[in-house]
Order: sequence, then C-alpha cells, then structure tokens
Amino acid sequence: MQRDLLRRLVSLPLVLLLTSVVIFLLPYLTGIDPTLSIIRARIGERTIDPAAVAQLRSELGLDRNLAGQYILWVSDIVQGNLGFSFVSRAPVDEILRRGLGVTARLTVTTLTLALLLALPLGILAAQRPGSWLDTLVTVGCQAGVAIPQYVLAPLFILLFALWLGWLPSAGWRGPTFMVLPVLTLLPAPFAYFTQATRAALLDVFNADYMRTARAKGLRRPILLYRHALRNALIPVATLVTLWLAGLLGGSVIVEVIFAVPGLGRILYDAVISGDLPLLQAGLLLLVGLAIVISTLTDLLYLLLNPAMRLSQSR
Amino acid sequence: MLSTEQPLTRTPLPLAATVPQPLPARSRRRLPLGFLLVGGILLVIVIATLGAPWLAHHDPNQQVLTARLQTPSSLYPLGTDHLGRDLLARVLYGGRSSLLLSALAVLLAAGIGVAIGALAGRVGGLFDEVTMRLVDVLIVFPSLVVALVIAALLEPSFGALLLALTITGWTIYARLARALTLDVLARPFIEAAVAAGVSEGRLLLRHVLPNISGPLLATSFLRFGHTLLTVAGLSYLGVGVQPPTPDWGAMLAEAQPYMQRLPLLLIAPALLIFLTALAVTLIGQRLTAYFDPRQR
Repeated sequence: MQRDLLRRLVSLPLVLLLTSVVIFLLPYLTGIDPTLSIIRARIGERTIDPAAVAQLRSELGLDRNLAGQYILWVSDIVQGNLGFSFVSRAPVDEILRRGLGVTARLTVTTLTLALLLALPLGILAAQRPGSWLDTLVTVGCQAGVAIPQYVLAPLFILLFALWLGWLPSAGWRGPTFMVLPVLTLLPAPFAYFTQATRAALLDVFNADYMRTARAKGLRRPILLYRHALRNALIPVATLVTLWLAGLLGGSVIVEVIFAVPGLGRILYDAVISGDLPLLQAGLLLLVGLAIVISTLTDLLYLLLNPAMRLSQSR
Repeated sequence: MLSTEQPLTRTPLPLAATVPQPLPARSRRRLPLGFLLVGGILLVIVIATLGAPWLAHHDPNQQVLTARLQTPSSLYPLGTDHLGRDLLARVLYGGRSSLLLSALAVLLAAGIGVAIGALAGRVGGLFDEVTMRLVDVLIVFPSLVVALVIAALLEPSFGALLLALTITGWTIYARLARALTLDVLARPFIEAAVAAGVSEGRLLLRHVLPNISGPLLATSFLRFGHTLLTVAGLSYLGVGVQPPTPDWGAMLAEAQPYMQRLPLLLIAPALLIFLTALAVTLIGQRLTAYFDPRQR
C-alpha cells in the first residue's frame, strides 16, 4: 500500500499534465477565437479592425507556437495569474473563490445532513435484514437514487414557494435561500450513504471476529457500536469524500435552477457565454480538487484500516 | 438478532461469474414478483415509446395555438402544452431520443472501457499505471460538468451528446473490467490456454471476456439509468436534445413557467424519467447481486 501511494505520487503529475493540456487546448478544439471574444465583449457588435485583432493577439501571446503558448499559460497559472473573465472582466481567481465558498457551504450542509440521517437508518435496516423496515429502506434508497434534481427542484418550488409560500423560490440572500437547494441535493447522497452503511454492517456482522465477540456474550450495544460500526464506517467514510468531490462541481443543475451563485452556476454561465479564461480556470480547479480528494480518500482508507497499514504491499 | 444466515465467504473482489448457480430459497421466492413488476414497467415504457405513432393520435410537433394549455379531454388525453401540442404524443415520442441516446452511449462506453480495462489488466506496466490513474481522477470528476462542456462547446447535436456521454462513461467500465480480468487471469484455465499456445487476442476475447461479461452486464443496467438522467439533465439545461424535438428533459424545462397552472405538464415527463431510471437501477442491482458470489 505504501508502495502504491508512492507510485501514485509519481503518476499523478502525469495525469495533471495530460488534463491541463486538454483544458489548454479547449479553444482550439471548439473553435472559439479568444481575441474575437475579448473584442466583442469590449465593443459589442461594431465592425472589428483587423489591426486591433493582430495587436491583441501578440499582447496575449497567441502569435507564438502551441508549446510556447502552453508554457506561457502554465507559468501564468503557477504565478497565480488566472486572467480576467471575458464577460464580467473581474479577476478569475476572485470569481472562483467566491463561487467555491458558496458551493462549499451548500455541499457541507447537504453531506452533514445526509450522514446524520443515513447512519441511524442504515444501522436500523442492517439489524433486521429482510424485515419490512429493511425492505422499505432499500426500496426508498433506489427511489432516492433514481429521482433527478431537475425533477425534485420544480416540484419543491411548486409546493413550498408557489403553493405554500413558505420559502423563496430562487436567489441567495440569506439562510432561508439554502433550504430548497439542500433539500434537492439531499436524496441522492442520503440514499447512497444509507445503502453503504447497511451493506458494510451486514458484511461486518458476518466476520469471524464478530462471531467471537458474540460468543463471548457481549451486549448488543457494545457489539454494535464498539465492534461492528468502527469497521463498517470505513467504506462509508470513503464514499463521503467521493461525494464531496462530486457535489463541489456537480451541483450545476441545482445552482442553475435556484440561481445560487456557486461554482456550478459559474461554470454553466462560462460554458454558455464562451468565457474561456473562467472556464479553463474553473475546470483546472475541479481537476485539482478531484486529484486532491481522490488521494485523500486513499490516505483516509489507509489511516482507518489497520489491515492496510500492516501489510507492506497490497 | 444479528444476521447469521449468510455464509462466511469473503473474497477480495467480486469474482467473475462462473456457471450461474440457483439463488438461495429466500431470494428465489422474492425474485419473480418484484423482478417481473419492474421488468414489466420498463417493457411497457419502451413499447409505448416505440409504438408512439399508434398510441398518440396527434403529431408531437403540431401546434394548435387555439388549444393552448388545455386540461385532459377526450381529444387530448393528457391535455396540451403552452404551444397547443398534444402532451401524450410529446411524452411518448420524447422517450425515443433519451432512450436511444442512453443505450448507444452505454454500449460505446462499455466497448471502449472494457477494451482498455482488459488490456490494462493483461499488459500491466506503464500503460496500466497511467490509464488507471487517469480513471481515478476522471471518476471523481463530476461527469455532468464534462458532458456540459463538451455538449455546449461543440454545436449541440446527437453526435456531440453521444461523444460527451461516452467520454464520461468509459471509466467505470475500465476499472471494473481491469479488476475482473486480473481475477480471471489468475485462474488455472488461463494458464492452460497460454500453455496451449493461444494468441493474446484470442485469450482476451474467447477466454477472459465471456467470464467477465456477467458483472459487466449488471453494471450496464446501472449505467443506463445514470446516463438517462444525465441526458435528460443536459436537455433540461438546454445543451442536449434541441427543440422542437420532444424530449423528457427539455419538456421539464419548457413546463416550468406553466407548472402552477397545469402541473401535469411537469409531472408526466418527470414520472417517466423517474420510473425508467428506477426500473433500470433495480434490475441492475438485482443482477449485480446475482453475479456477486458474496451476496448469494
């Protein structure tokens, strides 16, 4: 496992290089000309002076060859210079930082709630497999996975905002504006966490050491909380970190529907308006987050699982 | 009390299916009813979308502006939308693009992913290392964002959507196929085949592939559900199936301004997306359990 981690540290830069090249090439792959976009953003629909285009091209370094442009781009990013948005002309790093803050708040609230609800339910279901409660939980989880956010969101807006009038339907001006987005994001992680808790517990219940513990005559709470749950929570913990990565970038739909100024909404707007600097930096941020979180997941697994720590190689 | 009914088999990875064995009595009793019901729902939806021309009497794109936002009647069984188009016809035709696109995307992703995964498992070395690290990162990367970027920056079209869904879908297959391949490769009959001088291509195609196809099939059902939700999500965001072609996801977006007046506009496509995804997921989970010896 330690060798595994070492190998990972060597190959991750390769992945970073590969993905950064793809992100760098986005304008060439899609045929959006950044110089034209910038000029359009500045002067609108008036006729464009070719000389101005040429001057901007050399200012931006776009007259160099591809490798030169890539090196220029990377060195800018490494120095923390992410450029300015084509559309709002605000510095990209500021836009992204603000968006990430909003999305992080949404994500952490959702995952905390999901975990708080899922753990007791998963434990209850696992104690009596095959019972009506277990069946109900299992089927409910399937439904939670199958119901998409863009179905839930309009239904919630219809019910809580339009019919009952309890909550605002969209915007981001206070704590009440967080309720509907969180409610919409909640079912999927909640369902996955419940299922994972249940499955992991059932798995642990069958382990040899649990039989020994039962044979010793330990009381059920001790058996459950001290012996079973500690091991069962390992896969659940790794699942939570994966959802962290998924929601940080993947709450696009919810943020678009509820007009939440988070990372997903920023990326969506950047895609729709062809705002390349913002889009490229945003995607790079997501790749970075994905790499960090997937590495942390492995480390967490190593940390929580004594068996993995003891064995020198997997 | 605590469950003791399952045997103490603990294997590190889901083994490739060998000869399918009969399920234990409890599961066997439970299988037909739920499975038939779920399979029946899926079959009805698929047949209904395929048979749309016979089930709906209106053209899904025919606008009757004098008959806008009508409640269900004998002429329009589900009512009409904001342009006076028959909701029943649109809901039925709307499944075609989503279902076809999802099916093709899953097939393509499976083909590419399994090829890469099986190859990585067999070849090993640097190829294995780099592809699997790439998979590690791509799997964590939110797939909707990738699909959104690809689908939006290319001109929205069937091909662009298919490309986007394939690029985001192959990773899970690659990881699964690699694990299953490694598992099969360690078995004695592979050694026998190698000793008999079987070529590499034949070894992978005729000896490994048939033995890993069960879990891959189960995964395909789960992926189909996931892909369907992504397709509808992209269409909802306006970068998927383009109007006026009827599509469930796009219909949800169109219905939103009118949902207070005519909730059925929202509920009909929502229910179909939900039921299809649910049925496919349930079948996939059932199959996964069937092919996983730990869960027998």
